[in-house]
Amino acid sequence: MSAFDYVRAGSIEEAVALLGDPQWVSQPLAGGTDVMVQARHGPVHFQRLVDVSRIPEMKVIARHGDEIYIGAAVTYTEIMESRLLQETATCLVEAARLVGGPAIANAGTLGGNVGNAAACADGTPPLVCLDAVAHVRNLAGQHAVPVAELITGPHQTALQRGDLITHFTFPVAPAGARSVFLKLGRRNAQAISRLSVAAAGALGGNGRITFARLAPGSALSRLRRFTEVETMLIGEEPHQALFEAAGAQASHVMELATGRRWSTEYKEIALHGLVARALRAIFLNPEN
Amino acid sequence: MSHFTQPLEYVGRPAQRVDALDKVMGRAKYIADYRVPGMLHARCLRSTLPHARIARLDTTPALRVPGVRAVITSDDFVDHGLYGFPVKDKYMLAYQKVRYVGEAIATVAADTPQAALAGAQAILCELEPLPALFDATRALDPDAPQVGPDRKNGNREHPNLKSDHMLVCKGNAEAELADCPIVLDRRYFTDWQEHAYIEPEGVLAIPTPEGGVVVYAPNQSPFINQNNLAMVLGLPINLVRVIQPTVGGSFGGKDDIIYESSAQAAKLALVTGRPVRMVFSREESLVASYKRDAMHMHIRLGADRDGTLRACWFRGILDSGAYASETPFTAWRASIHAMGAYRYNACDVDVYCVYTNNGYAGAFRGFGNPEVCFAVEQTVDELADMLGMDPIDLRLKNCLRLGDETAHGQKLDESMGLVECINTVRRLSDWDRKRAEYSRQTSTEKRRGIGVAIMYHGMSLGAEGADYAGATISVLPDYSVDLTSGLTDYGTGSRTVFTLIAAEELGVRPDRIRIQRPDTNTAIESGPTVASRTTVLGGNAMRAAARNLRQTLDLAAADLLRCDPQQLIRVGESYVGPDEEAVAWEKIVDHAREMGLILSAHGKWEAPKIVWDHHHGRGTPYMAYVYGAQVAEVEVDLRTGNTQVLHLWAVHDIGKVIFPQGAYGQLYGGITQGLGYALTEQITYRDGYIQETNFESYLIPTSVDVPEITAQFVESSYSYGPYGAKNIAEPSLVPTAPAIANAIAHATGRRVRELPMNLERVLLGHDLQPPASRDAAIRGVWMETRSMPQTPAPAAPRIYA
Repeated sequence: MSAFDYVRAGSIEEAVALLGDPQWVSQPLAGGTDVMVQARHGPVHFQRLVDVSRIPEMKVIARHGDEIYIGAAVTYTEIMESRLLQETATCLVEAARLVGGPAIANAGTLGGNVGNAAACADGTPPLVCLDAVAHVRNLAGQHAVPVAELITGPHQTALQRGDLITHFTFPVAPAGARSVFLKLGRRNAQAISRLSVAAAGALGGNGRITFARLAPGSALSRLRRFTEVETMLIGEEPHQALFEAAGAQASHVMELATGRRWSTEYKEIALHGLVARALRAIFLNPEN
Repeated sequence: MSHFTQPLEYVGRPAQRVDALDKVMGRAKYIADYRVPGMLHARCLRSTLPHARIARLDTTPALRVPGVRAVITSDDFVDHGLYGFPVKDKYMLAYQKVRYVGEAIATVAADTPQAALAGAQAILCELEPLPALFDATRALDPDAPQVGPDRKNGNREHPNLKSDHMLVCKGNAEAELADCPIVLDRRYFTDWQEHAYIEPEGVLAIPTPEGGVVVYAPNQSPFINQNNLAMVLGLPINLVRVIQPTVGGSFGGKDDIIYESSAQAAKLALVTGRPVRMVFSREESLVASYKRDAMHMHIRLGADRDGTLRACWFRGILDSGAYASETPFTAWRASIHAMGAYRYNACDVDVYCVYTNNGYAGAFRGFGNPEVCFAVEQTVDELADMLGMDPIDLRLKNCLRLGDETAHGQKLDESMGLVECINTVRRLSDWDRKRAEYSRQTSTEKRRGIGVAIMYHGMSLGAEGADYAGATISVLPDYSVDLTSGLTDYGTGSRTVFTLIAAEELGVRPDRIRIQRPDTNTAIESGPTVASRTTVLGGNAMRAAARNLRQTLDLAAADLLRCDPQQLIRVGESYVGPDEEAVAWEKIVDHAREMGLILSAHGKWEAPKIVWDHHHGRGTPYMAYVYGAQVAEVEVDLRTGNTQVLHLWAVHDIGKVIFPQGAYGQLYGGITQGLGYALTEQITYRDGYIQETNFESYLIPTSVDVPEITAQFVESSYSYGPYGAKNIAEPSLVPTAPAIANAIAHATGRRVRELPMNLERVLLGHDLQPPASRDAAIRGVWMETRSMPQTPAPAAPRIYA
């Protein structure tokens, strides 16, 4: 275990001041479910952990008009227990339920999941699917970055030293929209995602698809919406053949982006199946 | 007096496990909880190469690291610490060569775990790479790199051949196969498995004023440890004492690796004159410890068109890695069970194990039988498919029955409940309805399947060695009863089994009885605690000891009550004589003492002799067998390969059940371990480097992976077993993986012939491997051991007095 200092921040201002202190290389600590594992595995890049897990503003889940606000220190357990999120962000709630096990869900946070930026993260595909924006504070001020742009690669983000993700916002989906999260792991709990799919969609009054979002996890080195698949859905009537075509297209997009890797032979079949299943759950099986 | 005709009062009735409260209340102390004044911490330097010559080993830089007190190498042991049974091929620390990544080369003792690690890192160790061998199927090629030791005395066998060819021969299998209208020819592979005991390896050695050492070690067999220690330390045996603390699981895994750690810590304790403790991190445990062997199998089954099995031809190669450990015995047990619990006209089995540089393999629950059962039970199922027969009907047509002779030539003349197991599991699982219903599925998303596997498992050591056990029993001054057994309880529940047997024989309440921790100073040497032998061997010994003590007490009672012992009856614990007045058990004990009788006794039991002709593969390999049948119901996701086991039914013939909760616990635990073996547990050696070094990558089942299990026992009494008991620990997991495999094949129509049946194998029919990495293994070699919080010292060993 590496040696490092620890300090707890009581407010966002205090946290930003501590993180921005040039005398220390500091790292935000929330649930510690990633940071502590890294510290156990070997030397760490930070000298001090700034604990942001108990900052009240960072624990808020709220609706502001047509926007949902989730504090970065909100845990998966808090996400899955939130009535508001159950109604407006089903895919995020389902992802929270599938994270690790109860201990991880009680400690791990959404902000930590984005900051750690693992390719197999369960919290990030729903955020990207929902077009969420991360709000970042530092000594210079505040700025907003779409989550899909903040995460630049496996364990890579656009965050700079001194930055703190304070919260996420995303627009409330159109009326009648539904979203799902499907996870494929090697066991039923405490499993790293082999693949996941966050998807959302809505039908218009004419029965055709008016809204479609798709963000697979563990598929690309850089998480993003599969707009190539979304566009082929818009304006179409929902039916099984369309979803199979969308699944095939998703696999094609993945392969174009990653080339053929050791896992492609498996993932192209599995992603096809998961995408088709997710779309079917959204558009054909409203009870599911 | 005759108490045999009375109903059993404690045996076979619900009981509380004697160690249950200590464990759930957190009072049980494990090695990592032990701290004694002046204690040093030990840490090994381990190999980061799979095969290398130790060109230079200079420990002096380590001694300059602050806090380091001593460093030892193989030079510090007698004969460089050479040990091993049945093959003496391993050293307590590597000598001249290392043969696997993670092999211990030197051990440092220091004031703190951090200083010990720094010391190990400071040692100058130059390893000169040698050509390495990773493919067991090429191990005996003339140009294969030599991993095994040089042959001596003109022996011309390939040095990489680790064991003899283990044979079972009946008739002419080749000729019989040539004559069979149906012949299936199949290859199967089972992968390495990690024991995944929740308590990693640890040991505490305390030097004694007499120049000896007391070793607290969670080993399975303290007497083997004691013998090894005396041998490599050059001490008389009575200066070496081994005590087994509470053990956090073993499953066959805490033999050799603990003996090595014990020798290292004991030597450091002797050198420094201070207590020395060594505790592994999970990563170090996974890298350094032995595993279940990987096995390559080739089977041919011949049958008539009506489904009558006629011949079995079987070839098996165990990849058992860099050292023998117990794998020659594993190969033998695999050979005996390779053809399954069936009748054949002819049988030809040949199994052997080879050296490679893939870690090393040793004992693991089931010991060869889970491997071969995976092959034969799937092949039998394929035969049923081919013939259009129901898999259970085919098994009932061919399985061993009372009075049959096995392929080895053993007549099964008692305690044979296999058919009842099969019929019961068929009924409990609603087999016929589900089998028919699931055969008609058309979904392209998810399909269900139901599969069966049956097994038999030879009891205890069989032809592996002398089979005996001893026990002692005493009445203490406070009228409590004290037991020792030479066989240990590393989580199996045997201490409760012994307590119930002693209570039954003495006619006293179990709460009056206390069973000591295994301690080489107090217990009677009883052979190794392996092979699910504890209930039968240890139980019979305990029964004998208790009967001997009972005779003494009956004599005292008869004297006090002025009658013949035959006239005594028992009412509860009390004795009643002809005048019909109940006399408390304590009064009888007092009277016995006044008579000058010694209220302690011992008992020994030896298993009936077995005969096995290794050269001709014929004989009676085991005194008896346990039997079982399991049915698995699965749902397979056809689009991802994800397999959910929905329900498991298990019916096992284990003879008389002595401790019901313990027996069910063993069965549930074994099935869970078998579930992991079937689906998720995968140890991958890539160029000799293990890829899975913690439980985020080595995936044992979680509580939400374990299906509902419906279990039942068939109690076909075994005349030599205590009260008719047999055993359960190992057989519980043997049929689980093949039952799941057969269910997957039923669901998907495709057969997976390799373990584990992970997502890729179920979906694609073959495995996919990420690029090999040395990182996890090397990180495991150097992973820091977590410092444990301060806890009270264990009960002080008497040697300080």
